[in-house]
Amino acid sequence: MTYEDWFREDRLPHIYCVGCGNGTVINCTLSAVDQMGWNKEETVFVSGIGCSSRAPGYIVTDSLHTTHGRAIAFATGIKMANPDLKVIVFTGDGDLAAIGGNHFIHGCRRNIDLTVVCMNNMIYGMTGGQGSPTTPPGALSTTTPYGSREAAFDLCGLAAAAGANYVARYTSYHVTELTRAVRAGLESPGFSFIEALVQCPTNYGRRNKFRQVLDQIEYFKSHALLVQKANRMREEGKKIPDDMIIIGELARRNRPALGVRK
Amino acid sequence: MRLVIDESRCKGCNLCTLVCPYRIFRPGTTANRRGVIVPELDRPERCANCRLQHLYGRRLCGVCQMICPDQAITWEEEGPCEPVKVAIEY
Repeated sequence: MTYEDWFREDRLPHIYCVGCGNGTVINCTLSAVDQMGWNKEETVFVSGIGCSSRAPGYIVTDSLHTTHGRAIAFATGIKMANPDLKVIVFTGDGDLAAIGGNHFIHGCRRNIDLTVVCMNNMIYGMTGGQGSPTTPPGALSTTTPYGSREAAFDLCGLAAAAGANYVARYTSYHVTELTRAVRAGLESPGFSFIEALVQCPTNYGRRNKFRQVLDQIEYFKSHALLVQKANRMREEGKKIPDDMIIIGELARRNRPALGVRK
Repeated sequence: MRLVIDESRCKGCNLCTLVCPYRIFRPGTTANRRGVIVPELDRPERCANCRLQHLYGRRLCGVCQMICPDQAITWEEEGPCEPVKVAIEY
């Protein structure tokens, strides 16, 4: 069995724009789920509202497409009702960081046994490119036409501080690493949070000097900095440039988890 | 095994041209019936997965398939055919 068996073939091709990274993240997540050897009857995909949250519609397992921002709340309910189910949450940055921020923090605090894959495209892609909490400073969007003045949300730092058991960040360029990270998240009990930075050529890229799809992927490739190297640079007293994206496994701990059968 | 691009799914983003270590994918030049410029395959028999998947019994490399956002890249079984001499670059 390969990960392609998890797709709902009659629904493909999906509605994502040309070059959207969400499809890549779905590939990586399904590949990790397939490597775990789970069957389709005991796996549940949950999502909220947004581009990324359309993902469970293309997956053959049971899924919930819930209200905006409440994906983790619904997933908590599923997990508490039947701890034997494997619950994976697909969510976007507007879904998770903006309207669902509190559910996210409390999911981390409870350390409930979920795997949350956040496809962070740094913008509200579906509604026309409004600035989201993770829009980097200086980036243009329809609500920040002179450049965003606000600091962006560090979702991984938030998850690690709130008590998630496994936190990792990769981009849609790093497919093998992302697959490995999702797999590690699925294996570890407790709340696992994987942030995948994805390109949004339609609404983010074309306003921010990434005219072609490949431009933003090249940016991810050249501006990604592995966390081990970042730590080494800090020890040596070197300055890490502000625009670098720190990727890698950012937290792994063993807090007692909720929703795991003893 | 044979590398194929499913033209009914490909949207022409050319992400595969970036990741292939053998540079098998090249940006296409002509639009197909749906108006999508599908990448061209440059000597796809060089693909490591095509040659060695059966020998190793698992998927090798496969980065193009993983990064393809539209799930358009697959490998399909080939029927018996006449042997062709292939120059392999290392």
